[in-house]
Amino acid sequence: MDLDIATGKVTAHKDPKLPAAPAVGEGADWAAGLAAIAPADAETLVAAIRTLYPHDALPERLYRRVVVHLDRLANGAAPVAEALRSFCAGLAQGWPIGFAERAETYRIQALKKLEGTTEFTFVQRAAVRYLYDDVELWAAFGYEGASVHLGGYVKRGFDDLDWLPPLPNDL
Amino acid sequence: MATYARDDDDTIVIVGSGAGGGTLANELCQRGQKVVLLEAGAHFQPGDFVNDDWAAYEMLSWLDRRSASGTWRVARDHPDAPSWHCKAVGGTTVHWSGCTYRFTAAELAARSTYGDIAGASLIDWPLTLQELEPFYDRAERKMGVTRTNGLPALPANNNFKVMYWGAKRLGLKLISTGRHAINSIPYDGRPATIQDGFTISGDRHGARWSVLNVELPAALATGRLDLRANARATNIEHDEAGRATGVVYVDVDGARQFQAARVVVVAGNCVESPRLLLNSASGRFPDGLANGWGHVGRHYLRHIIQTVWSVFDKPVHMYRGELMGGLIADYARHDPARGFAGGYYIELNAMGLPTTAAFLDTGWWGRDFAQVMEQYANMAGIFMTGEDMPQPGNRVTLGTDLDSYGVPVANIHYDDHPNDLLIRNHGYKTLSAIHKAAGATRTVEAPAYPASHNLGSNRMSAKPEDGVVNRFGQAHEVPNLFIADGSQFATGGACNPTLTIVALAIRQAETIATMAGH
Repeated sequence: MDLDIATGKVTAHKDPKLPAAPAVGEGADWAAGLAAIAPADAETLVAAIRTLYPHDALPERLYRRVVVHLDRLANGAAPVAEALRSFCAGLAQGWPIGFAERAETYRIQALKKLEGTTEFTFVQRAAVRYLYDDVELWAAFGYEGASVHLGGYVKRGFDDLDWLPPLPNDL
Repeated sequence: MATYARDDDDTIVIVGSGAGGGTLANELCQRGQKVVLLEAGAHFQPGDFVNDDWAAYEMLSWLDRRSASGTWRVARDHPDAPSWHCKAVGGTTVHWSGCTYRFTAAELAARSTYGDIAGASLIDWPLTLQELEPFYDRAERKMGVTRTNGLPALPANNNFKVMYWGAKRLGLKLISTGRHAINSIPYDGRPATIQDGFTISGDRHGARWSVLNVELPAALATGRLDLRANARATNIEHDEAGRATGVVYVDVDGARQFQAARVVVVAGNCVESPRLLLNSASGRFPDGLANGWGHVGRHYLRHIIQTVWSVFDKPVHMYRGELMGGLIADYARHDPARGFAGGYYIELNAMGLPTTAAFLDTGWWGRDFAQVMEQYANMAGIFMTGEDMPQPGNRVTLGTDLDSYGVPVANIHYDDHPNDLLIRNHGYKTLSAIHKAAGATRTVEAPAYPASHNLGSNRMSAKPEDGVVNRFGQAHEVPNLFIADGSQFATGGACNPTLTIVALAIRQAETIATMAGH
């Protein structure tokens, strides 16, 4: 993925010294390449993270990328992998259909039942950590990101707010 | 760079290279002293820093596990990391946002000013403002503080405009862009700010004073500084007379070393400094070095710090520009009519989108949160820092688990004092009112995040029975042991502490150099 993403709002920049976000497939088999998370659990995690942080206009790939990050954390760290399995198993309980197939009301209900457990806290914190670090989300919500390599904002609008009266000169 | 032998007991060994330890190291080198500076973190160069909230946090933070207890919300939200500071050469000055304010005379006499407050262990500083002023002057000059020494103020940014008009409409008067150790014009070989908004990610541009970019290059140029990065101090040793003889540390290769010293200075921030003293217990000092009166680790302070984030109809782009370039001082003075002791300053706060999401209200999820975050471009941030009450039970202690160096993991216990809650309550209402007066459609009163104004856990006192060190930061019980970080504060005051830490370090350098007889 590119380090710079433009929308109608802004162009968002990830620091060019940092690696690009992980690649993730657009097809239904996107989870086949995960190392530590089973494909069914990956779909549950995508649905869970979308329920926790429901941004309807964001494409599925942003939520999938969070799961790729979770997979990297779980790969080689058995307690993390076990926490993710336990989280998904918790969401599966009490229903004959999968978590992702349920209406939002019932997905929220299932998540609330797990709130307070260590695995819920882990998934919720990791979702915030990775979803809101995605440069595609930055562009969608109007955060421009890295700036020093572009000369900062001194000539790019650090004081361009014009919907309040001008400031007095004697500050 | 100097290289001193490990048995050279003519050296001054400083543990920690932040605002206190790093400034002291330079000041001592300028006075001809031999200094060994031990820093647990790595030595980054400006080109290493990144403009990225999380990458910078993971690069710079002290991430070793701690534990937390008490009624503070941080114990619930951040139980493994209740206190935040850097682990890097230059300490937390590599991160800080450059706010440089002075204590008031009344704050330095907190016990006399506020009277007897139940549950609080208030004392007066064994120092007056008059005594500190010449050192504040020198600190401001070396740091290039705006609005001092003819240096212009930082220009107002978008977030400031919101704060200004909200405050103005409420009738507040003491509003300015504040004082910062960030260049508004080129000064001391450093460039003017380009309003990049990444001062706290290491300040790659270098417009801000830090120990890393100002004090240490000057100290190294004297040829008297032996800087040892990735050196983790574990305990301080002493002789039969009760004088410190040197510091045991684990070096970059994992080998345990002993560096002999004529004077030992501890400046590892408010958790690591008491932890080091407590871990230096011996037959002569059974409760920890310099802890005969039992105050090491106690009276831990973290300031009443909180932020209100608000959503407006139109764009703010709060992240553009210096993050904390705004100050309202109307509530800074002690006013008993408000129903609580002490005061608070209102300042600007801005965060990138990633950390805004993390700290807006840790644990918050669902459509409401998502809706607020989608309006990030239209968000403004406003912040307060106020005085919290010292309490003997708010303390750093050693737990039972050991870290990889064999040192017990620290626990931080903090219970909110009723006075603390009254300041928090008053502050939230004021911050929200300012934003609403500027047109906010939604305000979020964010809970406090891990403490960054860590203070008081090795406090100075006129009487040995009231604290750990005297008015020069010298341990009451161990004459050649000093504390140079914010843990020596007798009380917290309301303002950002760095300027005072630097001023005290300059003053302490004179004391140590004189005492050394050079």
